[in-house]
Amino acid sequence: MRRSLAAVLGAAAVLAPILSGCGSTGITAAPLQSSISSTFANLYVLQQADQGNPRPSLRSLHSHTGCLKGTPAMPQGGSGNWLCYITYYPSGPAYPVIAKYKVDVQTDGCYAADGDGPASVNGSPTITGPHYQQVINPLALIDGCFDFT
Amino acid sequence: MTLAAQRWPAFAEPIAGRKRPGARTVYRMELAKMRRLIRVRVIAVLAIIGPFLAVAALHLQSATPGDTAFGQWVHVSGFAIPMVVLGFAAQWIAPGLAAVVAGDIFSAEDHFGTWKTVLTRSCSRGQLFTGKFLAALTFGLALGLLLTVTDLLAGLLAGTQPVVGLGGQLVPAGHATLLVVLSYLSDLPPLLGFTALAVLLSVVSRSSVVGIGGVVAITFLLQVVTLLSLPAWAQLALLSTPFQAWHGFWAQPAFYGEFSWGLVTCAGWFAACAAGSWLVFRRRTIGVAP
Repeated sequence: MRRSLAAVLGAAAVLAPILSGCGSTGITAAPLQSSISSTFANLYVLQQADQGNPRPSLRSLHSHTGCLKGTPAMPQGGSGNWLCYITYYPSGPAYPVIAKYKVDVQTDGCYAADGDGPASVNGSPTITGPHYQQVINPLALIDGCFDFT
Repeated sequence: MTLAAQRWPAFAEPIAGRKRPGARTVYRMELAKMRRLIRVRVIAVLAIIGPFLAVAALHLQSATPGDTAFGQWVHVSGFAIPMVVLGFAAQWIAPGLAAVVAGDIFSAEDHFGTWKTVLTRSCSRGQLFTGKFLAALTFGLALGLLLTVTDLLAGLLAGTQPVVGLGGQLVPAGHATLLVVLSYLSDLPPLLGFTALAVLLSVVSRSSVVGIGGVVAITFLLQVVTLLSLPAWAQLALLSTPFQAWHGFWAQPAFYGEFSWGLVTCAGWFAACAAGSWLVFRRRTIGVAP
């Protein structure tokens, strides 16, 4: 029985890399970009509210995102480290801001995006509220998920 | 000497109004045995006090489990705590806990050499199999439901502030409670799948070590396989993937694709393991040296 269990485990170890060659992982730039754009926008509104600033409307932000895995020449798909640039307009259409995130995407379509500038937006893990209290900066680390099926 | 038809001794007569024992009798017998097992009692106690201890431990220190979803919010909202626990426990611990009963319920009879005794009772192999299998499923189900209640209560105790969902949206307390319960319930199908797998290993190997240890080993192996960039269909076919399907419930808009596929996957694994167990058990030779 031990031997047959070992055989099953061995077969799985051999089959898995072979299987990974056939079919899409379902993890591509398009769903990641659309998910991170709307998640970022929601959290930006939360951040402004936490700081006691006037609450911007989601619509006015017009957030959109470009994500890249490695260099543009590499195949753009699969889990691992992505780099995302989120463009949004907090002070009107003439003044875009670009927030940069290092995104670790897992095989199940969930990701953790780590803020990588500008420092005033996502650089600090905490922000100061209207009563000088420290609260978590919701834009420093973004957790989100998209459907990979 | 022969006895006249009306002269059978009383103990040989079927007692009036009492049916022959069936799968139900086996099931109730197994549940009664289960309740007296030390390991079952230990698991039940841990499932009840464990979540509260986790909340207390979180309160004593300021660090957060940052590398999991909801991890950074555990000090902000009590709803984040059951979700962090679920994300970790469902994948690594729950299958092993279910296997503690399911991986042993058949092979214990091999271990104690009691198959001959139970099979000479007046119920068939099919009834015996059904009763034992249902008892194993009952344990998995009861464990899952118990953890749903205790984890939710522990979270509510820690605080009912709105929690940040996986779409960046603020989820108010009422909706968050519903999502916590749904997330826990969505992990029941894969838990029952692992229960059936444990029964299969236990029946085939006749050894509780393989029945329980095999499930733990397969759980760890599946976690490693999950890290590989498998095609979506292969990822969805793994029995460990449905444990994560609840992530979609917390997105905005919520998505249920992974959950629906998970139901198919769990049903497939469950049917295959149950059928395999029965085929092996039905044809087993008992009472002869292997």
